[in-house]
Amino acid sequence: MNSAVLQVDNIHTFIGQFHILEGVSVTVEQGNITVLLGRNGAGKTTTLRSIMGLNPPSEGQVLFNGEPITGKRPYTIAQLGIGYVPEHRAIFTELTVRENLEIAQRKNDDLERKSEFVFELFPDLKRLYHLSGGNLSGGQQQMLSIARSLVPDNKLLLIDEPSEGLAPVIIEQLMEAIRRLSSQTTVLLVEQNFTMASKLADRYVIIDDGHSPQQGNMHDLVNDKALIQRYLGVA
Amino acid sequence: MQGITAQTTMDRLRATVTSNWFYLALLALLIITPHAIGWFSGEGPFGTQVGRRFMVIGESVTWQGRLSQIFIFAILAMSYNLIFGFTGVISFGHALFFGIGGYMLGAMLRIDDFDSGLAMLLGVIGGLIIAGIASFIIGLVSLRLKGVYFAVFTLAVAEAVFIYFTRYGPTGAEDGFTFSEMPEVLEPTRNPLNFYYLSLAGAVLTFLFIRRLMYSPTGAIMLAIRENEDRAKSIGYNTLRYKIFSITIGGMIASFSGMLHVILNSKRVGPEMMGVNFTVEPLLMTIIGGIGTFLGPVIGAAGLRISETLLRDLIITIGDNEINIGDSWEVILGVLFILVVIIFPFGVVGTWTRWRASKQTQRMTEVINNSQIATSGD
Amino acid sequence: MTEERRMTLLIVAGLTAGLLGFSFITTGDLGDFAITVMSGLFQGMLLFLVASGLSIVFGLMDILNLAQGAFFMLGAYVGYEIHHAPGLMDAIPDANIRFVLSLIGAGAVGAVIGWMLERVMLRPLYVRPLFQLVLTFGVALVMLEGIKLVWGVRPRNWADTFSVLESSFTLFGQRFTLYRPFVILVGVALIFSIALLLNRTRIGIIIRAGVEDAEMVEALGINVRAVFTLVFTLGSAVAALGGGVAAPFLGASLELGNAFLLAAIAVVVLGGLGSYEGTAIASVLVGLSVAVVAKFTTQYINQPVWASITPMIVLVLILLIRPSGLFGKER
Repeated sequence: MNSAVLQVDNIHTFIGQFHILEGVSVTVEQGNITVLLGRNGAGKTTTLRSIMGLNPPSEGQVLFNGEPITGKRPYTIAQLGIGYVPEHRAIFTELTVRENLEIAQRKNDDLERKSEFVFELFPDLKRLYHLSGGNLSGGQQQMLSIARSLVPDNKLLLIDEPSEGLAPVIIEQLMEAIRRLSSQTTVLLVEQNFTMASKLADRYVIIDDGHSPQQGNMHDLVNDKALIQRYLGVA
Repeated sequence: MQGITAQTTMDRLRATVTSNWFYLALLALLIITPHAIGWFSGEGPFGTQVGRRFMVIGESVTWQGRLSQIFIFAILAMSYNLIFGFTGVISFGHALFFGIGGYMLGAMLRIDDFDSGLAMLLGVIGGLIIAGIASFIIGLVSLRLKGVYFAVFTLAVAEAVFIYFTRYGPTGAEDGFTFSEMPEVLEPTRNPLNFYYLSLAGAVLTFLFIRRLMYSPTGAIMLAIRENEDRAKSIGYNTLRYKIFSITIGGMIASFSGMLHVILNSKRVGPEMMGVNFTVEPLLMTIIGGIGTFLGPVIGAAGLRISETLLRDLIITIGDNEINIGDSWEVILGVLFILVVIIFPFGVVGTWTRWRASKQTQRMTEVINNSQIATSGD
Repeated sequence: MTEERRMTLLIVAGLTAGLLGFSFITTGDLGDFAITVMSGLFQGMLLFLVASGLSIVFGLMDILNLAQGAFFMLGAYVGYEIHHAPGLMDAIPDANIRFVLSLIGAGAVGAVIGWMLERVMLRPLYVRPLFQLVLTFGVALVMLEGIKLVWGVRPRNWADTFSVLESSFTLFGQRFTLYRPFVILVGVALIFSIALLLNRTRIGIIIRAGVEDAEMVEALGINVRAVFTLVFTLGSAVAALGGGVAAPFLGASLELGNAFLLAAIAVVVLGGLGSYEGTAIASVLVGLSVAVVAKFTTQYINQPVWASITPMIVLVLILLIRPSGLFGKER
């Protein structure tokens, strides 16, 4: 059963003096879409950043395909095959779509090999190829951000709130794209939009106040009104 | 009724003395030092008998001069610490205010046929006012800029003024000017002891003033600005106002130290007072001594001045090479500065305070652990 | 082209035209005018050599390297030293070759010291952002005092001539040495080389992306710290090279450091944070301003001090009017 791509074991993370994560554990299995659910400020983004090494945990460990990656520099972690799609898009506005994709290459022919797949998922990007990132709409930027993580051979994608600030139609397109790419890569998602999350994810982990009290199959969560109310409902 | 209030005042006095015993002891020490040195060396605090003449020289007199220098730099360093250490604003133009004080006082005292006492009074007041206005204006127009930009702004202004004064004829351009007349009672060449006590008083007053200020609500806000200006703003404070206040007071105190400096410095005023050296020295003293502490700048000033005096004539021989420490003093200072910034950014006093605090936490944790063990053995 | 960009380019054109026009009218003589323009471009290129490193490092690493002026100064001293070294003068009598060697030497020294510096500053055990500024300030101080220790306070004047320095041409009745145009050409070549580097190479893309969001670049699997070191080292090397290039004309003196630092900062702020073309354009503008002011004040009121203060006045004005500069991007 241990086909866990990612194993986060009881990590504690501080931001400055603030003890944000007080013992978070997450298991992500291969081929699944796992979603981190929880209220605002619960620590979901910090969890992703801790995995990525951007906010290294002070305690606990993170295993990627069985190999410990805690304390490594973010670029080393990325090179192991983890792609990060942060919230608020974080594409480079001064670079063109093409350059945004090029910079993500780890091997010289990455873009060459993957461009077909990328344009299949996000046909708009082909049209906008030579436009600078700043000229794209919010939805297009989000697609570019995800596309960028598909260029190198990533085995795990960390995607943070992709639907934020986007129109429902675009969200639909995004969901479709994420569903399709999950056939090739494992996905750990953070998503506030429960409807989207419930339709997309196979498994869930609830992050609450720096802890991870609950995880399981999405299938079971959807029917558990009490649980939803307790951890996700408005306080 | 009378009896009770009198007792409370006595209690308060006693409490103040006990909690500040260190400072009071230090002050007492500094007050008797010239006399002590005179007593030990036989060369009294007012001068020595040389043959048939009584000249104002001697061991005690020399040390009074040295210590007065330290007090002056302590004042300058404290004024810098107020802006940088307590409010978190970096200025690279501090020497400007130092120079304004010196030039103003010097100019007043240079005017012929002017009663030197009155001239001095006017010079002091004028210098303080002009320094205050200058710092206020600089703060007003540029403190809304981000830290880096403000620092660069002050650098540009100070450098421009410095260059201007090195060419400005009427004040002697590069060479500056000297004045000769000044109230005899304060002249360090005639009455060094008086000047010593004057500069000591200046340092003490500055110290007390800053401490009082930082313990007041205004001071608390200044500290908040240093920690996180955005948060202070979001709480609702007009941070600009407090920063301007800080730089104005700091500028005025710096100008005061400049005035003392020209008197002690052979009554000579020159554009180097506005040069980068007099910005670097208080910066160094503050950082090395302990930024954002009360005693830090004082310790830094004393430490640096004493080190320079002692090491200036030192020559180290390594193998075939002779290294004259005096010549490389500035380089050593710079390297020391860099080391402190990287390794001990809190300076002497700051690192000491932290070390003590962590020791206390350790002790408390031990106590808690021990008591837990004691009670768990049920 | 956006409206804002059009506005900015218009302002630049206006300022340039204004400067040139003012100079043309006040100098009266076509030859003098030509010298002024040449001098302005010359100084502009020197400024660019210092400012380019300053600007890119500031944009990429958020560090305003106050030691950049000191690197320029160091380059001047090293360049002078190499060219006039008695042993070398015997070994290589050809002054041209020695000049080239002096440039290489200056650049190399700048690179080595810059590299050492960056490594030291890269391991701050605890450095608050404000302290980084103080740190580079301290470094500038150490370099200044170090130079004083090694070379003393007496400035060095370039004594030996070489071909480019010697030869001249005549234009509008005025004799020009070939040296200024040579330096201007070097500067322009550099501007284009860096532009090409930034726009056509992978490292250029990384740098441009890093200026925007260095953390994201690292998250993409790129070792940004190594890029930081590279950029910083190159920036210092180019500044030192600039000093070496300027030495034949300006000599080597202790005032160079501060003067070029403040002027370079003025260029970076005027050009706008994070904008390479801003830096290039601003270099020319500031250089021209200094030359025009110098000519005007020497000719009419005999107060050369204003030329030295011009960069500071420019800096102060921009900070008051528009701190984001001409092409600055809000961050």
